[in-house]
Amino acid sequence: MTKKIGSFIAITVLLCMTIIYAATTGSVQLSYMEFLTGLFDSTNEKMAAIRDLRFPRIFVAIFAGAALSVAGVLLQAIMRNPLADAGIIGISSGAAFTKLFIVSFFPTYFFLSPIAAFVGGAIACLLVFMLSWKSGLNPLKLILVGIAINAMFSGLTEALISFGASSAGAITSSLTLKTWDDVTVIATYGSIGLVLALTMYAWCNVLVLSDKTAKSIGFHVTGARIAIAAVAVLLSAVSVVVAGVISFVGILVPHIARRLVGHDHKLLIPFTALLGAFIILLADTLGRTVLSPMEIPASTIMVIIGGPFLIFLIRKDK
Amino acid sequence: MEINQVTVSHDGTKRHLNSVTTAIQKGKVTTILGPNGCGKSTLLSVMSRNNRPAEGQARLEHRDLTDYKPKEFAKKFAIVYQQNDIPQDLTVEKLVMFGRMPYSSLLKKRTQEDEEAVIWALACTNLLEKRKQNLAALSGGERQRVWIAMALAQKSEMLCLDEPTTYLDIYYQLELLELIKELNERYGLTIVMVLHDINQAIRYSDHIILMNEGRIVAEGEPRMVITKAVIKEVYGVNAVFHEDEELGLYMIPLNI
Repeated sequence: MTKKIGSFIAITVLLCMTIIYAATTGSVQLSYMEFLTGLFDSTNEKMAAIRDLRFPRIFVAIFAGAALSVAGVLLQAIMRNPLADAGIIGISSGAAFTKLFIVSFFPTYFFLSPIAAFVGGAIACLLVFMLSWKSGLNPLKLILVGIAINAMFSGLTEALISFGASSAGAITSSLTLKTWDDVTVIATYGSIGLVLALTMYAWCNVLVLSDKTAKSIGFHVTGARIAIAAVAVLLSAVSVVVAGVISFVGILVPHIARRLVGHDHKLLIPFTALLGAFIILLADTLGRTVLSPMEIPASTIMVIIGGPFLIFLIRKDK
Repeated sequence: MEINQVTVSHDGTKRHLNSVTTAIQKGKVTTILGPNGCGKSTLLSVMSRNNRPAEGQARLEHRDLTDYKPKEFAKKFAIVYQQNDIPQDLTVEKLVMFGRMPYSSLLKKRTQEDEEAVIWALACTNLLEKRKQNLAALSGGERQRVWIAMALAQKSEMLCLDEPTTYLDIYYQLELLELIKELNERYGLTIVMVLHDINQAIRYSDHIILMNEGRIVAEGEPRMVITKAVIKEVYGVNAVFHEDEELGLYMIPLNI
């Protein structure tokens, strides 16, 4: 128990420290004192730049990290598969494709892109379930079908781009140039998704039982699966719309979180949200400061760390 | 529970259950016997609502099984399946608490009644001392008892067990069958189980349902059902029977 409380305190402190570091570091440098006084001083010019450029980026990174990581936990619970992740089984690429489709062909309906992305993600999720379901869940088949669906939607997206569909800003797969409008979108939908996820912890816990056993205690297995999947798709879709496709977060973060706070979703979901927010913000901040003025996208850093970590996990599990 | 002319087919051609009619008697131990693929599990899946009859009806307390809401049904009928993955990082107590699901709702907190039911279930299965332990740390026999405790926490009148002794060595097999007997005698639970061992079935059942090729071949008191001719017909095995004061009726399979 002390380990769990300690983990929560540690991650909260780390997240706060990273936020302050991210806000004060970069082409415009600020001391911590300047930053603290600047927070309450609207005349400071340096601070105005930070407010308009860096704060949106920080907020988007935090919400995207939390949303993608929690989406991973939810998908892993309903698919009873530790490798389920929105980026791997095609939900993110489905969302990215439909978003690009709307933006390219119906640019006047740009404001509908979160809904379009949700529909795309839901189609991908549904396809994965339908095609891999044969009298029950088969973990291996599910991942294979998911990879195929992912490849298909990525291909479709590339096809759209090569037909010249991609206007500038149609697929922003990074955290650069974020505005307060982006923050509004991801904070609104992201908060809804995260709150819903937190209320579903008990359902996620029951899903560790086999479907038959869960059914025998009067649990609506299918209903719960659909509801949880919908929340996972919402969280993934809104991240894709605002921050682009970031792979591996959904696998990496829940796994570390389980080591630290255990498998009970009551603690796992909130902890994963905090840890995901911290990791993406850290990746983004390192990406833009380490080789400054060059920028490495957070998604690239995640793949560089995530790839070896995934291999480690596969080798560790039998 | 009454099963009335129930027919089930998993693929639409072969009849896995062929017009089966039987009744599970309240307060008795009923064992379903038969060779592999005879329809035992299918019959159990009809009772547990995992399979809908293509023809015929299954009723509990004069109501069709399909009329029950899931939680309502779970208050009347509990089942322990044969293979159960052990969830990681879960204590005995938490797993048994899942058995209270039929009585819970999204907003309701755990009640005194829930706690009492869990303690009772743990006491019945002799697991009170292990309640805080992780499932992974238990032996095979203990794990099987945990699943039974979870079903007991449902506080249903009927308890179904699908091959509860498979994968256990004989000490734990007997321990489990004694537990089932006690649950029946002390708490009046109606027991339905699928067994493979014919001698165990004779010794621990009030009523045996013997199945073959999707039909009920014979049913009734053990000594009436298990006879030389029936064993030869159903299993294709020659067996000798022996009965004495100390051991009761028992069977030794000889050859095929």
